[in-house]
Amino acid sequence: MTVTSLEGLWRELVTAALLGTDRREPPDLPAGGIGDLVDDTVRLDPASRMLATVGAVTAARRAAFIPLPAADPLQPPESDARLICPPSAAATWRTVVADWPVLEDEWVLGVIQRGFRLPPDVLVELLLRHRSDVVRRARVALAGGPLTAWLVGHVPELQAIGSRAADAALVASLPELAIPPELAELVDAEAHTFTTRIMSGFRAGGFGPAHRAVLVNLFARCRPAVLLDAADELTRFGYGQALACADLARLRDHMLTELRAAV
Amino acid sequence: MTLVEPRWTIEQVAAVAPSPRSIATAEPLAIDSRWSGVGCDERALWGRCRGGGAEPYETAVDHVEVAWRCTCPSRKLPCKHAIALLLMWVRGLVAEAALPARVAMWIDARDRRPAASVTAAASAPGGSGCGDRTTAPTHGSSGENGSSGESEHPNDRGDLDRSRDDRVARMNEGLHELDRWLEDRIRTGLADPMLARYTTWDALAARLVDARAGALGNRVRRLAGLVGAGIDWHSEVLAELGILHLIAQAGRRLQQLPGPLADAVATASGWQVRQADVLLGVPDTDDWFVAGRSDAREDRIEVRRVWLRGNTSGRWAMLLSFAAYHQTLDESFVVGTVVRADVHRYPGGSLRSLVGRRYGDPLALLLPATATTVADACDAIGAAIAAEPWLERFPATVTAAPTISEGRWLLSDATGSLALLGDVRSLGTLAAASAAVPISVTVEWTPRGVIPLTLHLPDRSLDIGPRADPSFVGAA
Repeated sequence: MTVTSLEGLWRELVTAALLGTDRREPPDLPAGGIGDLVDDTVRLDPASRMLATVGAVTAARRAAFIPLPAADPLQPPESDARLICPPSAAATWRTVVADWPVLEDEWVLGVIQRGFRLPPDVLVELLLRHRSDVVRRARVALAGGPLTAWLVGHVPELQAIGSRAADAALVASLPELAIPPELAELVDAEAHTFTTRIMSGFRAGGFGPAHRAVLVNLFARCRPAVLLDAADELTRFGYGQALACADLARLRDHMLTELRAAV
Repeated sequence: MTLVEPRWTIEQVAAVAPSPRSIATAEPLAIDSRWSGVGCDERALWGRCRGGGAEPYETAVDHVEVAWRCTCPSRKLPCKHAIALLLMWVRGLVAEAALPARVAMWIDARDRRPAASVTAAASAPGGSGCGDRTTAPTHGSSGENGSSGESEHPNDRGDLDRSRDDRVARMNEGLHELDRWLEDRIRTGLADPMLARYTTWDALAARLVDARAGALGNRVRRLAGLVGAGIDWHSEVLAELGILHLIAQAGRRLQQLPGPLADAVATASGWQVRQADVLLGVPDTDDWFVAGRSDAREDRIEVRRVWLRGNTSGRWAMLLSFAAYHQTLDESFVVGTVVRADVHRYPGGSLRSLVGRRYGDPLALLLPATATTVADACDAIGAAIAAEPWLERFPATVTAAPTISEGRWLLSDATGSLALLGDVRSLGTLAAASAAVPISVTVEWTPRGVIPLTLHLPDRSLDIGPRADPSFVGAA
């Protein structure tokens, strides 16, 4: 049987190749084009003739690269008048999740409160990060706007695990972090008090490795106005854990300032 | 004038290692403190490595004829000590020194033997040794652009000619063997269970590397990964066998081909070109927009392709970089920036290039100079494939919208559609950025579909190309 179309010939070649020329004759080639090309190579045994045909047909199929038919566009999502948060804020989010994920909730709430929406890459990452966390996912849906449901509808891998509804009050507020009573009073303290108390703790050797988690929580929830002063003092002190707290304080200050300035 | 043999690149070391694990095993040994009496010259490198035995292992590598010798008991070739020595040399940790007598004797003995064959185990002083073996390193990886790095550098014209003739003969022999192997596959069929065994492909790849057709060896290893990988794998494997046949046939007829095509075939086969020679070529000076980046693991190395597009010429160029386990990939070209520079192309009008002189720091460029329709992109890709049917990747920047048809993602405009490949992150980000509206996107064509690499948004470029596994490559 002689096949005429290139695609038909290719299907015949794949079938013959599956069984091998020892068990199945290769397809006859149409005159002209590929047929002439393979004839020119004067190959006698079926395997080498078929290999030459496969090479020629593959080259022809790849070079004849034509587009698939135009497809219907997707229905667009509902419009969202909010601006996408600036690229620098998206870069800050990447630093937050890499270095100090304790700040992530505040960053997302900041985006919502400042009237921005999430950039596309951050939206996808957040949906993947919080597939099973109802509250954080609801916060992402708010920050992502109508695009979120549209996207999840088209990309099933982004769907939530489970279908529980989130408490609106929890979505709108920062989660509570564990801070022991002796440090809890510093959450609302003024800059001077905050810095003095923290530094005296470090100087007295009162903050060991076991305090790291609560110190991180304190710096993630203290008043933003204390952050830079505290960071400067901690840097001057130069002790490992103090430097880590200084880094956290500076990043949080930068994160909040950046979103405020972008409005 | 002294001709100094250029140092290998990390991918050459990876190519001669018997397995990816060998590099990882050798890494802890590739530090100064484990070695004494380390040195190198234009022919060899040598040193004593402190190991588990009472005496240090004496290791030597002939980096020109590519052979090794070590007194360790390992049966692996090259052993981890030889690989560690090569790694240190590649990293510039081995200083030039006078050839010790024991290494000079070994080199001398090798030179007096018949060339180009695997020799018997050496009688190393003090033990049975892991032996003295010859093989060929391979550079680069991509079939479409072949190899890089440095070639042999004999000391006079006669040696140069003999060396080249030897290489041509070895490569022709390898290509002939490849073609016979391909015919056997066609004869016995793709349903033959031996195709499912990696050793079937690995043995062929190793023979091609020995024949100094390293780019083909790498292509064969990539092909092994297609077997059983999808419902249509028979068609994809058959097509690749056909392409290998084309290269094998064309490679054996280089002298009958027109110059640029012969260069392109030679490069696709694995013919090595010195980077210094490429940089001596006429530069293509332009404002080069870094349009896309794509990482792919190829056997034991991570390969990064950076696609540049000349703002004035509209021509594409590609920069390749490699990283073995815990090595870093080149981060000097950031997607979305533009840099004025001299780009030097490899022979044969290849996309593969090296960047020479840079005339300033990179600047952010928001929108690429030209984005085409899907149909125009197909024309450009088809023309490139018609010129070089063995191309495996080619870039295009199109303005189109992602959509879904019959359960698969497409990039579509009024002129047609392209099948999209990618993971949830890249396709999800593309969909979210587009929101059903056409956007400008740089894609990388492969025979199985196009991979989105970069979204060119009004305020920034988003790099969504496949990224190397961070547990494999080291941090920059």
